[in-house]
Amino acid sequence: MLRKEQSELLTQTGPGTPAGRLFRSYWLPALLAAELPDNEGPPVRVKLLSERLLAFRDTQGCYGLIDEYCAHRGVSLWFGRNEESGLRCPYHGWKYDYTGQCIEVPSEPEESGFCTKIKLKSYPLVERGGVLWTYMGPPAKQPPLPEWEFALVPPGHSFTSKRLQECNWLQAMEGGIDSSHVSFLHRGELNSDPLFKGAQGNQYNLRDARPVFEVVESPGGLYVGARRNAEDGHYYWRITPWVMPSFTMIPPRGDHPVHGHFWIPIDDETCWTWSFDYHPTRPLTREEVQAMRDGKGIHVRYVPGTFRPLANKDNDYLIDRAAQKAGRTFSGVAGIAMQDASLQESMGPIVDRAKENLVSTDNGIIMARHRLLRAIRNLMEKDVEPPGVDVSHQRVRSAALILPPDRPFKDAGREALSVRPGVAHASV
Amino acid sequence: MESESARASSAAESRFRIDDPNSRPRVVKVVVLDRPSEAVAERLAQERWNGASFLTASAFCAEPRANDQLAVRAWLSDLSGRTRHLLDEIDGADLVIMIASAGESVPAAAIIGEACSLERVATTALVLGGASATDQALSRTLAQLRPWALMLVVASSEASIADMLRALRA
Repeated sequence: MLRKEQSELLTQTGPGTPAGRLFRSYWLPALLAAELPDNEGPPVRVKLLSERLLAFRDTQGCYGLIDEYCAHRGVSLWFGRNEESGLRCPYHGWKYDYTGQCIEVPSEPEESGFCTKIKLKSYPLVERGGVLWTYMGPPAKQPPLPEWEFALVPPGHSFTSKRLQECNWLQAMEGGIDSSHVSFLHRGELNSDPLFKGAQGNQYNLRDARPVFEVVESPGGLYVGARRNAEDGHYYWRITPWVMPSFTMIPPRGDHPVHGHFWIPIDDETCWTWSFDYHPTRPLTREEVQAMRDGKGIHVRYVPGTFRPLANKDNDYLIDRAAQKAGRTFSGVAGIAMQDASLQESMGPIVDRAKENLVSTDNGIIMARHRLLRAIRNLMEKDVEPPGVDVSHQRVRSAALILPPDRPFKDAGREALSVRPGVAHASV
Repeated sequence: MESESARASSAAESRFRIDDPNSRPRVVKVVVLDRPSEAVAERLAQERWNGASFLTASAFCAEPRANDQLAVRAWLSDLSGRTRHLLDEIDGADLVIMIASAGESVPAAAIIGEACSLERVATTALVLGGASATDQALSRTLAQLRPWALMLVVASSEASIADMLRALRA
């Protein structure tokens, strides 16, 4: 359980809130680069950390992320014309460049310099690995660009998607570090999903539904190790890194691409679930990419023209009770991503953590909350840079290993848990 | 028409959630396994808990015993120094949390763990000082705990233990 005031501290991320300041310490995924494919293309509405913004790509290809509303009369610049190095409000022609600087106010004499006095709030927007990243904190504290491995591998080695999740970021993220649900909720998919099936490790998962957990602090967050019995007294370990504030990577299965997530608050009741797949040593195959586009693995199919999953709360997640009864799916909802999201959204927009009854296997969640609260306290009281900002904290990997019983996973897996360019993940 | 899922998960509907308690108080035993961890237990015991009791196994006594499931008779002590019988303490417990310091030898873990296993009591082990101890020292302590803990946590700060106990409704 978490006290109400602690829960509020962690779940509220708008401007001026402590957790909002925490999130504003990092480069955050804001949009897919594919959402702004062309210079002078249509602008895109973006809401992040409870701020309404507008993203656009100007004539020179510079990305802008600015306050959505014109400084003149508050019109949404989504209706604007993206032309000649700026975005022009269609109402009275005020024009802004990609930094939010007003560069033209047609009604005022040019020599008055009036437009130089007008500037919309803006944030940097940078492409890396097919994702547009933004930093929403104080410019003086802007960290180096992110170095997550999935964003640095050659094009063709990775696939990234995002989906709207209709609940607070924390309960979505906590689902990602709760390894014990896999053997129940996703058991149907381990043998059928093209991005999961066939790995030897799946059989350990299915044979042993009661893993034993070890949680170890890391410089950027945690390693959550789940241990199951393997042959000859050895253990099968699945090790999930969690890096603050909301990055996790799922342990690999066979030679399948490795998957992971970010959860980024849109506001306090919705978030973006970012899902990536990559392989460090080979391009993704056409079949793998097609499976991802078809909503397999941790990806989803969408309501056309949106990032809202096709199976969503408005259609009861297309629940199929016959599939549930027959054991094809454990919850009746199809697909790993929506199996997770449907249950996390069912808790309500912000779950009441004062009523929960956590058990020992929830210690990964407990420790993550503890580290988040500690980081917020240190940031607010002593201005300490939070874990995960330092790019060295981002060079982590998940791993699946078979180890003798006397080897701690963190020692035995030291190399396996770090990025090694040109070397595949340690996998079973 | 709005679906059941959309309506039931809305913020507006949350005010109709049943507000009665959904669990009974847990019986949690916190056992420190070595002398350096005793100070931690003493500080923790000063805080308010839902009935958690704090015990120490740093002066652990055990004597061989025949004709019984557990091969030894073992005693712990509470923080005021009174002797407590291990099986009496575990009987009826919901959770036993063992606390150790990285690098310490914790032979009591095996006997406590075996007793919990026999009594079907869940166990968690917490190792403090993981960041400052050498890997070898940490591994030595972990190896003694691993067979007997359903969950092992290596923590760098004492505050994490208090948070964990609260989260587990100790």
